[in-house]
Amino acid sequence: MLTVLSHYLDSIRDNLRLDRSSEKEVIQELETHIEDEVQELRESGLSEEDAADTCLTFLGSAKMVARQIYEVHSQGSWTQALLAATPHILFGLLFALNWWRGIGWLLGMLVLILIMAVYGWWRGKPAWLFPWLGYSLLPVVAAALLLLYLPKSWSWVAILLYLPLALWLLYAITVRTIKRDWLYTSLMLLPLPTIAGWFLAVEPVNQLPEDWLQRMHDFAPWIGLTFLALGVTVATFIRVRKRWLRVSVLVVSGMITLTMVAYYAEGRLSMPAFLILMVVMLLVLLSPALVERTLRHSG
Amino acid sequence: MAKKNELIKGSIDSLLLCVIVQQPMYGYQIIKELEKRSQGYFKFKEGTLYPALHRLEKAGLIRGEWQTLPNGRQRRYYHITENGLSILAAKRGQWLDFLTAMNLIIQPVPE
Repeated sequence: MLTVLSHYLDSIRDNLRLDRSSEKEVIQELETHIEDEVQELRESGLSEEDAADTCLTFLGSAKMVARQIYEVHSQGSWTQALLAATPHILFGLLFALNWWRGIGWLLGMLVLILIMAVYGWWRGKPAWLFPWLGYSLLPVVAAALLLLYLPKSWSWVAILLYLPLALWLLYAITVRTIKRDWLYTSLMLLPLPTIAGWFLAVEPVNQLPEDWLQRMHDFAPWIGLTFLALGVTVATFIRVRKRWLRVSVLVVSGMITLTMVAYYAEGRLSMPAFLILMVVMLLVLLSPALVERTLRHSG
Repeated sequence: MAKKNELIKGSIDSLLLCVIVQQPMYGYQIIKELEKRSQGYFKFKEGTLYPALHRLEKAGLIRGEWQTLPNGRQRRYYHITENGLSILAAKRGQWLDFLTAMNLIIQPVPE
């Protein structure tokens, strides 16, 4: 196949952002179409180059074709929407029903999240996987934070051993997700600003754990509510087709949930902290697009 | 030209079902068949055919199947489904009613 035709198919592949098996089928189908058309144009007397150029003119812009195919395949079913929203709903219920203090509930949820994340990863990374994947990385981050509270001699050993491994894991999963579609990375990271917001709101000025627990208890229903709101966001994200709408759903949801955190935290989140969180949220949700562009240009 | 394309875009589902109902066909064959049967009127950006075919497949109106030809090449043939047949029958009825009404209005009234 001529280079110009290969480039056309590469451009479609880059903009499809579908799972591997769907992508392979779409490209194979277009490749067959191109071969048929070029062959017929050649038989009508055109040179190979002219036949390729004419064929590409007939097909139309690669980006437009890829976008239209994406919009057909991107919309998930209601079952997939519910599956994608489930980790947020479970996390919300954990707080709304005050199960967060029960070690059994926490362990059960952790096991379920890990099972779903591994299952989805090996089943070709469908869209519903990414919220589960995001929550499965939370214990990795939480363990890194807990290391700070170990006795100094131990914490150095743990930091030297644990942090590189944890960072490598986070980096590897994030990069592989961005390569699939940067929007799925944003979907994966969606709860981070809300978690950070509640963390700042709950953290006591003095370091007494009882204060921290009491505040968690007081805020638990509202924490639950914000995560249920994230569940609604994710379900909407899965059901809409157009990319710009998906980006808007994530950003608007980030703004609404952070505003809910600030409102229900009853003044415990200062205005500068709220504004910084808003900026962090925009960076977390939109920077994967820049990383994707960099990754593409570099290789 | 843009207006003609808009007209085609609005009717593409019916056109595709009408062509596929005759026999299972692959993408390039569908393009050629549409062009032949419309005497060259239905000529559009070929890349837009596949999103339309995939949309119909997702809606359960057609079913795509890969077939290997004797020369080893693979083609994806589209078959109409039972659901597709009933939708096509309904669309045909709507079109015929529409055309009848249009003809009644668009034809010059005898003086």
